[in-house]
Amino acid sequence: MLEYFDVFISGLTNGSVYALMAVGLTLVYGVSRAFNFAYGSFFSLGGYIAWVFMMFLGLRGGYIMVFILSIPLLMGFGYFTEKLIVAPLRKRSDWEVKVMMITLGLALFMDNGYQVIFGPRMKSLPPMMEGAMAVGDTFIANQDIMIFVLSITGILAFRWVLNNTRIGMAVRAVAQNPAGAQIVGIPKDRIFAATFGISTVMVGAGGILLAQKYFVSPMGGWDILVKSWVITAFGGMGSIRGGLYAAFILGMLEAFVGYWFGLNWVLFALFGVLLTTLAIRPQGLMGKWG
Amino acid sequence: MNWKRMSATIALIFGAMAFTPLFVGGADHLMHILIMCLIWAVVASCWDLIMGFAGIFSFGQVAFFVIGAYASAIFSIRFGIDPVFAMPMAGMVSAALGVLVGLPCLRLKGAYVALVTFAVHMILEPFLKSGMGRAMGTGGSRGILTIPPMELFGITFSADNKIAVFYAALVLAVVCSVIIMLVIRSFWGTAFLAIKDSEDFASSLGVSAFKYKLAVFALTSFLTGLAGGFYGHYVGMLSTRMLGIDLFVMLMIMLVIGGIGQFPGAILGAIMTVAINESLAPLGSYRPLILGAMVVVLVLLLPDGIIGLLRKFAPGKTEGGQTVAVESGIQ
Repeated sequence: MLEYFDVFISGLTNGSVYALMAVGLTLVYGVSRAFNFAYGSFFSLGGYIAWVFMMFLGLRGGYIMVFILSIPLLMGFGYFTEKLIVAPLRKRSDWEVKVMMITLGLALFMDNGYQVIFGPRMKSLPPMMEGAMAVGDTFIANQDIMIFVLSITGILAFRWVLNNTRIGMAVRAVAQNPAGAQIVGIPKDRIFAATFGISTVMVGAGGILLAQKYFVSPMGGWDILVKSWVITAFGGMGSIRGGLYAAFILGMLEAFVGYWFGLNWVLFALFGVLLTTLAIRPQGLMGKWG
Repeated sequence: MNWKRMSATIALIFGAMAFTPLFVGGADHLMHILIMCLIWAVVASCWDLIMGFAGIFSFGQVAFFVIGAYASAIFSIRFGIDPVFAMPMAGMVSAALGVLVGLPCLRLKGAYVALVTFAVHMILEPFLKSGMGRAMGTGGSRGILTIPPMELFGITFSADNKIAVFYAALVLAVVCSVIIMLVIRSFWGTAFLAIKDSEDFASSLGVSAFKYKLAVFALTSFLTGLAGGFYGHYVGMLSTRMLGIDLFVMLMIMLVIGGIGQFPGAILGAIMTVAINESLAPLGSYRPLILGAMVVVLVLLLPDGIIGLLRKFAPGKTEGGQTVAVESGIQ
């Protein structure tokens, strides 16, 4: 029974980070209809940035410092990536597939860039917090609690920004009607780039959070890309709440399938969920768009 | 691109290719490169048909290629089927799986289709390595090492006899190109154009988008699987390394260089990309890095591929820019 509790906690922790990353993916697709194939590489980017700060430069101040420094970096990276390679494609009618292609090329470039710069060996990061909290007969690692709290805070903060601030409203307006938003004076192109930047921050932060539990490796992002997709499709494109539920359901599924049948089966299980969802309810649990 | 130009371009490319063994027939490695050019030309053309003309964002073409290669190898090794028959059977397996994947995802919109088909690509490697795959004869992570070569009219089409393989591949490429060209020029092609321009209007006229999309999914999976089977019997060994992202991106470069929806362009793209890839070989581990950067640069700089570039300098006599644009499905 106790091991089930551990599996449950692991599903909950990973699920919360997946939720953060899936929300980032659904944001960009929902607002600008651009599908980012390099999402997994952005995940690794977060991990590597944290590694460079903590292990390579030996920065003091712990993870607070890392987050303070890496969030603007990730934001800028995402913003200018959109401006440089996605925005110029928008003029053409077949831009959607071109965006997928160009981001896939970017993913290959980045992954191999990591391999050249950091080497093929995995990098590990120190845990955010040592120790564990006693719950009845068992323990929950403080690290897991921190990861859970931080990712949920991230999602809630994002939701608050989206619902209550001017920039959040501008983002929602562009998502609902790009032409109309432009007419009332919202800088559409800048919103597109900003959402891309925000989603990069979300997935990069996810990378930093998960890097201390697992590892950072050059090709490690592909798994994350697939998982974020499946969660987004299962929860419904463009729905934050749907993504949240889907992330926890699939985080649990992953933990229990991995525990019972072995990690190799996780991908098959996720794929099964994806196909079933699309066959029965193509818009996902709470999808708003298509 | 009109009918005459299209067939003339294809005839020119393959006609020129047909004479190359006269000059480089002795050089084993060059012959291998030429054979690979032809095989990738088939795969890239199929991808162009499905993505450029039918407007389906399929990202599973490499997966169907690998499925075809494995299926054909397994048929000939485990069941002792002659490779000549095993290849079309493998094509059928690919087509069946294509339909299976197509059924749920063709009702969906753009990015979802890419998502599902790419997921097929992603889970194929763990599947081939899993216990289930091993039980089917995929050889797990070791792969399949001894695939019998194809034999026809007393000629063995093995890696030792590259000139024979080359002409067999040429026949395969020509047949596939003609099929693709016929599809583009047939009622299907017109239906796709209509669906791409306005799906609602096309379906209100009684054009069933679903039916045609499923049919083209099956057809391209079949041809791609066939090419995969051919590749397996030629090379004689298979492993899951083909499912690496660099090969996928290389195929994408073929399409970008050739131009999406500019049909004979994909063939040119395949030839050029294989040549570029070979010339990058001395760079070793920097090669995928450069391939990735190439995609980014080429997508931005060559929006219509090499065919679009050629058209700019040599526009057709009878057609203005507008008709060309409408015919190729690019607005």
